[in-house]
Amino acid sequence: MDIASVLAFLSLHFDEIVTVLKPVLIIALLFQVLPLLVLLERRGAAFIQDRQGPQRATFNLQLTSIKGVFTGEGGDGLRMRGFGMLFNIADLVKLLFKQSFVPPFAHKWWYILAPAIPVLAGLLTPAVLPWFAPIVHSVAPGDMRAVSGQIFDTDNGLLVLFAIGSLSVYGVVLGSWSSNSKYSLLGGMRASAMMISYEVSMGLSVLGMILLVGDFSLTRIVDWQAANAWGVFVQPVGFLLFLTSMFAECNRNPFDVAEGESELVAGFHTEYASAKFMLFMTGEYLHVLIASALVATLYLGGFDLVPFSYKLPGGPYDTAFIQAHLGLVGGLMLIVGGAGLLFASHLVTGRKRHYAKLQASDKQSRVKEYGFFAAVFSFLAVILLLGGAACLLLFPAPTPISGAVYEAKPVYSLWVSIITAVIQLHVVLGKTLLFCWLFIWVRWTLPRFRYDQIMALGWKVMLNVALANLLITALVAKLFT
Amino acid sequence: MKVISPQGEHIELMTVNVGPSHPATHGTLRILAALDGENIAACVTEIGYLHRGFEKMIEQGTYQQVLPYTDRLNYCSAMMNNIGFCKAVEGMFSVTVPERCIVVRVILSELSRIIDHMVCVCTNLVDLGALTNFWYFFNTREEVYKIWEKLCGARLTNTVTRIGGMYRDVYPDFANDVTEVLKKIESSVTEVRGLIEHNKIFIDRTKDICVVSAADAISWGWTGPCLRASGVDRDLRKDEPYYGYQDYQFDTVIGTSGDTFDRIMVRIYEMIESVSITRQALAKLKPGPINSTDARLSLPSRDQVYHDMEALINSFKLIYEGVRPPPGESYDATEAANGELGYLIVSDGGTNPYRIKVRPPCFTQFAAYADMLEGGMLADVAASLGSINIIAGELDR
Repeated sequence: MDIASVLAFLSLHFDEIVTVLKPVLIIALLFQVLPLLVLLERRGAAFIQDRQGPQRATFNLQLTSIKGVFTGEGGDGLRMRGFGMLFNIADLVKLLFKQSFVPPFAHKWWYILAPAIPVLAGLLTPAVLPWFAPIVHSVAPGDMRAVSGQIFDTDNGLLVLFAIGSLSVYGVVLGSWSSNSKYSLLGGMRASAMMISYEVSMGLSVLGMILLVGDFSLTRIVDWQAANAWGVFVQPVGFLLFLTSMFAECNRNPFDVAEGESELVAGFHTEYASAKFMLFMTGEYLHVLIASALVATLYLGGFDLVPFSYKLPGGPYDTAFIQAHLGLVGGLMLIVGGAGLLFASHLVTGRKRHYAKLQASDKQSRVKEYGFFAAVFSFLAVILLLGGAACLLLFPAPTPISGAVYEAKPVYSLWVSIITAVIQLHVVLGKTLLFCWLFIWVRWTLPRFRYDQIMALGWKVMLNVALANLLITALVAKLFT
Repeated sequence: MKVISPQGEHIELMTVNVGPSHPATHGTLRILAALDGENIAACVTEIGYLHRGFEKMIEQGTYQQVLPYTDRLNYCSAMMNNIGFCKAVEGMFSVTVPERCIVVRVILSELSRIIDHMVCVCTNLVDLGALTNFWYFFNTREEVYKIWEKLCGARLTNTVTRIGGMYRDVYPDFANDVTEVLKKIESSVTEVRGLIEHNKIFIDRTKDICVVSAADAISWGWTGPCLRASGVDRDLRKDEPYYGYQDYQFDTVIGTSGDTFDRIMVRIYEMIESVSITRQALAKLKPGPINSTDARLSLPSRDQVYHDMEALINSFKLIYEGVRPPPGESYDATEAANGELGYLIVSDGGTNPYRIKVRPPCFTQFAAYADMLEGGMLADVAASLGSINIIAGELDR
């Protein structure tokens, strides 16, 4: 059995392999982004609040072999803070190894079950999100197959997503009720009332988009946006309403009345600790991530590269364009990544200079660590930039397989399709992180609503605006199409 | 809890203990609320969790030994308690401290007022869920604390004054440091105002919440920023001027409706006024003696002690026995950050105070709290508790 036959086998069974791998990869990806999101929250909060941020969890990197470089206080090691990344591990270890305490007055089984529900819902919802355009490949001449960018490819993607996403409130309500504590109960009551009110405006606000596209399938919504205009341009009101509802759905500030730590101690998770508390937190951050991905998909064109690209020279910049100009697009993305890393290196160097001037007691170790990271970032940036330049200049333009056409578009070799999918995945993730940052920014800027004010906003303002938006969209859609 | 309303309806209420173990009351207060849904149908407040027997304790020592205890009254602005007590005792002797001491005390008072208002406003905003303001104010407060450290070595409980003067004169660079910190205060006040002043959520949360009318505020015995927020023009610095406050140009900040919003805003604008007073006081800071030379309450200089028998005896008497205010009863009040901080001192002519009654400003404010809350919502408990600035140290004493 030689390599060629293995490759042929893999290519023949590509569908099955990808179908099995997709859920694993996407969930693994989510759990990779999740710690990043927590870090982003912590450092973002510190950045907004003029403070240093997480830095207490450290470990000593022993580099005794290059003693001349890393010497000084704290032995020969390099004290690593990792910008607070280590806190994720510290938190995980702490929460997992804490005593798993169940209050004697709680309803035990429901109490234990409740934290699992938000996590489960958070892990199921990404199944219907399109992470990349369908990978089309040719198995044999005339036999084209497309592998969807969703884990669960359905025409009613959006409905499934809302259905599963709404389930997560059951975790909150069940947890609050089974805790058998008054504060928890009040928190659960607030959460359930809020969830019901905001589901309505959320559904109505997204209906405008559905009317324009005429389809519930998320892939087709993205395709429509690529072909016409991103949702944020055609449905600005709907976008704002949907975003606001998403804040409410995620129980994030300014809608975090269910937790309301200054009023209800900790709201629905007052009685929760250890791993169960961690699950609630995981569920919350998963929710933020999914909500951001959803907003990016519905209103920011999903995996589409540039808005109104069909008007630009050489456009539209759709999947076929990326495949035909793989070197150009891939190279540009690498260069963007490299430039980002260079900027990070610049920031770290700035902090290093700042600490070198200070008289802090741990100045030495900070300066060393930041120097180390600046070097690492610069090195990676150079690699990425060189790789990008190489892609731009040297990558041969892929040629379509002759005679292979799928839905009036040329079909390229499997590798070209896979690289395209990876590029599109990064585009989605980039947009998602953009909205994640918005979530964090808002959380650390605005005060919290009062429960009755949230209700008033939901029923008296947002519902009416959503209905008006829907009506106007329907009229416009009817008149002009 | 089943109750019958005045109209004869049977209502099912849920009782909730907000505190003492609660993030908003941090172990020192208890609000027993009967909830109808989220609305507070009735509530009762309870204090005494931080009662340390302050007034009994200070009868045991000399007048000088009272000073460190006064730090623990309103620990957010400990210096103003020191100054108020020293002023009261000096008043019993009818002694006026030197001009430089007065100006330094005004500067310290106004800076303390600013940091007290900062703590009050930012913790209130934290209870409202706006966490970022906390750091904007606390970073600046830290700069003031650095001055405190340079001045007397202590940060929170300073004990910086002495009866008849100060612990020591200010350090040489004091005026520059204060000028610098005033700029930082102004910029942080601007930042926080930018975040909240026109913020719809903040206004919704605080406007018309826990309203106290001017008549109510007076009948509750309110003083200070909370009284002024209700629209009453009463400020001891203006109405019963002491320490030359009549010579400073500043405005009394007065609210209109007496709601939580006004109470927060009055404090924020008072900070700006205090910055202006401090600038004027800095201009008045002239070299000169800092301590009174009255032998009844000030230690003689070491030079005199070593060369003069009378001075040596005086020094011994003052240190071993303490000052002896003339017999009688005296009440003296200053405008502390929180309101009128009064000391009623009864002296029997001895070296220990016969009785000292402290009139803390937040005691009367907390008395009205239950009435303010009734008819409101549970979320208003946290939203308005900060605005009346309850400092358990001076509330329970």
